[in-house]
Amino acid sequence: MGILGVYLRKIYTLFRGEVLVLPSRIVVFLFFLVLLFLPVVTQDLYLLRILILTSIFAILAASWDLLSGYTGQMNFGHALFFGVGAYTAALLNLHAHIPPYGSIPLGGLAAVLAGLVIGIPCLRLRGTYLALTTLAFPIILMGIVFAIPGITGGELGVSGLSRLSSSRLYDYYITVVLMLGLCTIMWKITDSKTGIIFHAIREDELAVRTSGINVTRYKLLAFSLSGFFAGISGGLYAHFMRIAGPSTLEVSMSFTVVIWAVFGGIVTIYGPVGAVFILFPLLEFFRFWPEFRMLLFAVVILLILLYMPNGILPWVRDKIEKECPRCKVRNVATRKTCRVCVAPLD
Amino acid sequence: MKIPKFVLSILLVACLVMAIGLPAYAAKVIKIGVIGPMKFMQGKGHWNGATMAAEEINAKGGLWVGKKKVKIELVKLDSNEFLSIIDATNAMELAITRHKVDFLVGGFRTEAVLAMQDIAMDYKKIFLGCGAAHPELCIRVAKDYKRYKYFFRGTPFNSRYLVKTCFIQMATVGGILKKVLGIPKVKVAIVAEKAVWVDPMIKAAKGFIPKMGMEVVGIWRPSAVATDVTAELSAIQRSGAHMIFTILSSSVGIPFARQVGELKIPAVQVGINVEAQKDGFWEATQGMGNYVMTLNTYARGVEVNELTPRFVNTYIKRFGETPTYTADTYANIIYGLAPVIEEAGTLDADKIVAILENREYAVPSGKNKYMKDAQGRHLHDLTWGPGYLTSLGVQWQDGKLVGVWPNRWKPAKGVPEITYKGIVPYKIAPWIIKEYKK
Repeated sequence: MGILGVYLRKIYTLFRGEVLVLPSRIVVFLFFLVLLFLPVVTQDLYLLRILILTSIFAILAASWDLLSGYTGQMNFGHALFFGVGAYTAALLNLHAHIPPYGSIPLGGLAAVLAGLVIGIPCLRLRGTYLALTTLAFPIILMGIVFAIPGITGGELGVSGLSRLSSSRLYDYYITVVLMLGLCTIMWKITDSKTGIIFHAIREDELAVRTSGINVTRYKLLAFSLSGFFAGISGGLYAHFMRIAGPSTLEVSMSFTVVIWAVFGGIVTIYGPVGAVFILFPLLEFFRFWPEFRMLLFAVVILLILLYMPNGILPWVRDKIEKECPRCKVRNVATRKTCRVCVAPLD
Repeated sequence: MKIPKFVLSILLVACLVMAIGLPAYAAKVIKIGVIGPMKFMQGKGHWNGATMAAEEINAKGGLWVGKKKVKIELVKLDSNEFLSIIDATNAMELAITRHKVDFLVGGFRTEAVLAMQDIAMDYKKIFLGCGAAHPELCIRVAKDYKRYKYFFRGTPFNSRYLVKTCFIQMATVGGILKKVLGIPKVKVAIVAEKAVWVDPMIKAAKGFIPKMGMEVVGIWRPSAVATDVTAELSAIQRSGAHMIFTILSSSVGIPFARQVGELKIPAVQVGINVEAQKDGFWEATQGMGNYVMTLNTYARGVEVNELTPRFVNTYIKRFGETPTYTADTYANIIYGLAPVIEEAGTLDADKIVAILENREYAVPSGKNKYMKDAQGRHLHDLTWGPGYLTSLGVQWQDGKLVGVWPNRWKPAKGVPEITYKGIVPYKIAPWIIKEYKK
């Protein structure tokens, strides 16, 4: 009992010192809490469906940020990873009868391969050229899908897949826990030494190269990691929808991911996740006015990007927190001095 | 005596629940979800047809469900399926879990309908598909009857028969060309838009046209949204084609027909041109679309049976245009679902399925009968053929879209010829007659 008490006190101290000190961390904590305990309050099937799909796309949007936001490898064909993950999981499930817990990670691995396949020829490309080249890959894959309808199902896609789980509640917990886990992993990657190198590649590739770092290796690593997470989201999507069709590879899918990431704020990981959790349910909410649904959606995005060009979440964060000019630690906006080095904040 | 606050609050809550709950109970209705791409003509057809059916039923006081007369309430759901499969599935879930619909009609894009079908089956809701023609939707019923038995094809008949009908119409026009113009072997140019759904049709056409005693002189694939097809038309003219077999579902159907008329290309147009099915086609082509023939379901003045004129005329009066096939939500509700609900005396899906799958009933476009596959398993797919559903061949003749097929159509030896009331003879454009009749 004594040891438990010590641990509990330690956790509380940690919680008070690390989480409660910053509003953004409190928001993230509440976000975790709400998502994990929401089914205690309601098990509305429609609401759970929306949140499941939101979680799946949050993984996809964060994975785009990992590659394009952090490493600066502008990928306009992110649907390729999603589609490869979805089709691989679907085909393995349908033909090899591999259950979702096996087919989804294998879909992720297939997307890693896809990441390497497009990463290698794209190593020499930058900016607009890279964006346009990556845009072509899902279109090429869609051509292949239509060329071999015997395997891919052509325009119908691969349907009749196993469910993710036996109930909507389990589906919810699987996707939400995976989303929270995978996004935390992505955030930790960007906060690690590898993440710093990703940052550096985006800022000045030549300088990184002259520092003796194998840029090629890190670029391919970024493509592979991003592909893996996007592939997982594709696999989850296929098993939840029980169909993997050509719509997973559509150009609109690639652009939607970019919109989510830019709306939420790139180079943050949490930005794209937050954006999906705002925009996806918002689009559903706008069903009350079906004629103007897409128009309202577009207006919301345009207004946000007009007044918050760095994305909505960094804008909110900058309003409620400020960075210490000396030690770079973040503080609540109301503080006059830094919570660590006591330097004046204004 | 003072009532404690706790008891008072319970009483208040109970009153509130009763106030909200009782009217809902009293106003019990049959809810039908109409799901489709509502911003597009296909979805508008779904909604218009269903609206007509609901109004007609409600004007009579509703349907007998057991000993109670219950009215129909429609729930409009935009599936947005041309742009997003996710939207379509969310709309389906919304219809079932939030709006608590009893039945569903609609759907158009096959990939979306497959996903929506799964959701409807999860909740054991009867879903009458009114748009997607792919056989897979019904093959699922045969393969896993227990799960998919709640799905029925409402319209159109499946795509295999759609192709077959096109070929029959082509053979009919080919026969007219041979007879009237004395062309010994009709040369056919295939013009199909660049779209995936067209590919199997081209493959079938290449194989089947020579068997009909005709010759394929080439295949042209303009973009589905092309605005100029003069290059293709020049090549078709040089190929010496007498007939153009069109497979066009998008906007290219308008410039194609207009430029054929402007350039006076000496070749008749047969096949599918979805734009030519619309009332606005004549104005859109500035009259140059004269003599274009296309497959269609309805035409003004054509009577497939006694139900056709009432439906077509009322629809035109109400919505100002000829109904398209997605408006068959009307027939599916009023002739399919309504009598079955009354016969079953319940909204129980299993009981309704058992009656509906064995019914044979007249609809404005013919007669619906649900097929079984070769192994005798229920498919819930529509029967094609004489006496059932055949569709029409329609042609633009001097500003009017008239029915030209079936006209003395003999489906098989020993079977009587079929001509629907209101069908007029097929017309060959005068410049084609001038070119070949020497």
